Amino acid sequence: MTVNNTIAHQRLILSGDRERFKELLRRRLIECGWRDQVRMLCRDIVKENESGNITFDSLVTKVTPRARALVPDSVKKELLQKIKTHLLTQKDQ
Amino acid sequence: MKMNTISSELSMNDLNSKFFEIMQNEDNAVEATNFIYDQLFDDVTLGILFEFHHGVKTGLTDLIEGEKEEEEPYKIVNTSECDVFGFSMMKKTPDSNCSCPNCERPVSATRFAPHLEKCMGMGRNSSRIASRRIASNSREPTSYAGLLSDDDDDADWAGGSMQNERRKRRIKNNNNRKPNKMHNGNSRNGHLNNDANDGSTTYETMTANEKKNLLLHSCGVVSEHTKKFCTRSTRCPQHTEEQRRAVRISVLEPSTPESQMMGLTPDEASSPPDSSPSSSCSSSSRKRDRHRAPPKMKNKRERNISPSQRE
Repeated sequence: MTVNNTIAHQRLILSGDRERFKELLRRRLIECGWRDQVRMLCRDIVKENESGNITFDSLVTKVTPRARALVPDSVKKELLQKIKTHLLTQKDQ
Repeated sequence: MKMNTISSELSMNDLNSKFFEIMQNEDNAVEATNFIYDQLFDDVTLGILFEFHHGVKTGLTDLIEGEKEEEEPYKIVNTSECDVFGFSMMKKTPDSNCSCPNCERPVSATRFAPHLEKCMGMGRNSSRIASRRIASNSREPTSYAGLLSDDDDDADWAGGSMQNERRKRRIKNNNNRKPNKMHNGNSRNGHLNNDANDGSTTYETMTANEKKNLLLHSCGVVSEHTKKFCTRSTRCPQHTEEQRRAVRISVLEPSTPESQMMGLTPDEASSPPDSSPSSSCSSSSRKRDRHRAPPKMKNKRERNISPSQRE
């Protein structure tokens, strides 16, 4: 249900909590070395692209799927857990 | 369409009520959580990719991470012409060869100064020979002139002429002794060197006897570079026994019967000179040498004892 998801997302943005979660995810991914892995990926892709003129879009389409697979389960679980409890606890207010 | 209307038209209160309504169902909450997580992840990835792309485009990444490593930083070269770093080991002789202005012979740059010294007669050794030669050539007329103009009784002048005479005699002795020494086997290397340098420098210009004498006392191997023969002793370490033998064979071949008569086979020639008594010439010279030896010693001793006499 995209509408429901959008509503939840919208409310999270308005409350400002989305920024908190984003910062948390970012920090966790840096801590676990995911960012460095993604950088290596990017470098390899740039190297493969001989001309050196790689567009940002092609970088995103090439890197994002692999980057998604690289995220450690612990980080993902933690984030999901925290967002879910946040959403559910909001309900009670 | 519907989403847009919701997000744009819903007031904060409406959104809140809707939200609580959705969250009643936990499945909805889980689904929303996954959706939000994906959104967050995309955001973070985008941020990092922006950062990276910016770095690549502006060259910041290269600056921060340093230059790329070379594929094979220190490859060891394993060919025969180069050393391990791949540099050529060939000597730069063509460049560094100079020709001597005096004798027009190609000389390696590192040996140029020593060669010049010898060639132009500026060395300690050669200068002595040269001065002696000059003296022997130029002194005779002057000394005769001195003797002829004997009118005045100048003591200094007399002493000078005396000295000149003595020196002359010594020079004469030297000149007389040299050929003899060539025959007997006791000549020192220095003298032999001088003789070789004074006289002809190749075998072609020598007589058979000279060749034989030279080969008896010295190595005689012809150098490839200078085309001169080696004037060191028969045991000189620079050349091998085979080289010496080959030279003896090639040099003495034209006069084979003669050399055989004299008992100079290559084998004997390469052996020390004292062990070849069969040659009549050398044996006679040995006798002479024996006769001569004692007075020579005496002379030496006298000179040592009374050096004032010489002056």
